[in-house]
Amino acid sequence: MEYIIEKIGMSRTIAVPSVPVTLLRVLDAKVCSVDENKRALVSYVSGKKMNKAIAGQQKKYNLSAEYNRFVTLDVANQEAGDLDTAPLGEAKTLKVSLKTKGRGFAGVIKRHNFQGGPGAHGSRFHRAPGSIGNREWPGRVQRGKKMPGHYGNTQVTVKNEIVSFDAQNGILAVKGSVPGANGSLGKARIVK
Amino acid sequence: MRNKYIEAFEAGQISAKNIPDFRAGDTIKVAVKIIEGDKQRVQNFEGICIARRGTGTGETFIVRKIGANGVGVERIFPIFSDSIEEIAVVRRGIVRRSKLFYLRDRRGKAAKIKELRK
Repeated sequence: MEYIIEKIGMSRTIAVPSVPVTLLRVLDAKVCSVDENKRALVSYVSGKKMNKAIAGQQKKYNLSAEYNRFVTLDVANQEAGDLDTAPLGEAKTLKVSLKTKGRGFAGVIKRHNFQGGPGAHGSRFHRAPGSIGNREWPGRVQRGKKMPGHYGNTQVTVKNEIVSFDAQNGILAVKGSVPGANGSLGKARIVK
Repeated sequence: MRNKYIEAFEAGQISAKNIPDFRAGDTIKVAVKIIEGDKQRVQNFEGICIARRGTGTGETFIVRKIGANGVGVERIFPIFSDSIEEIAVVRRGIVRRSKLFYLRDRRGKAAKIKELRK
């Protein structure tokens, strides 16, 4: 079972021991059509993007005008209608996938946890990657050498236990942290 | 302003708690549940609240007392923690700031806080 979720932010419980939780909002979604493997075309609301292709789909599946995004998900529904969130009530563990925060073009200290050099005492080696190879032999850089480059903004999946699920507001509390910025959208899949 | 969903999630946990109104400078008595093996008992910790910080379920306060041999002892408690059985205000104090860290540098009578009488 998969759901579209929005990361809200973090909080904690007052139990002993206190558990750090991330709150996720399960977006309202409409199931447009379901096939025999429970794979469904699901529509949800995000922003105001609209074009003729979306309008055509809305007409085909009788959706209201604000449902402007479509994804394919595993669902619990037998037929089209509102997405069934009941399985979240009994679920224990989730796999949550979100885009990590983008860091742009990052150096090796941030990107690969290199140590860097001393800041002072005239070392002339601060945050640079340093040597990237040997000498005339092998005469090339080893494949997979860790170097500066684009970091973040990639899909990352983490496994979290469910602490609570408020079905009325669709608020999930999962133990621990989840990738990405607050307000970003992602997917949550029930593991068990 | 905090996010309304976070606020609702925390309000659900906090609403059942009955916490007296207190601030830095007040002398308070905290009854802490202590679990030793399978036995449970309550220990009191009485001293001056020298700071409150944080919001929602993460709110904490610092209690400072002078222990044996004049050694200062400070404990930080989460206000809404289930391990706290009761918080009682023993005495209200007159102070002009919300963080009383200057008390750490004071000894004896200089570290005294006047009582607020109404």
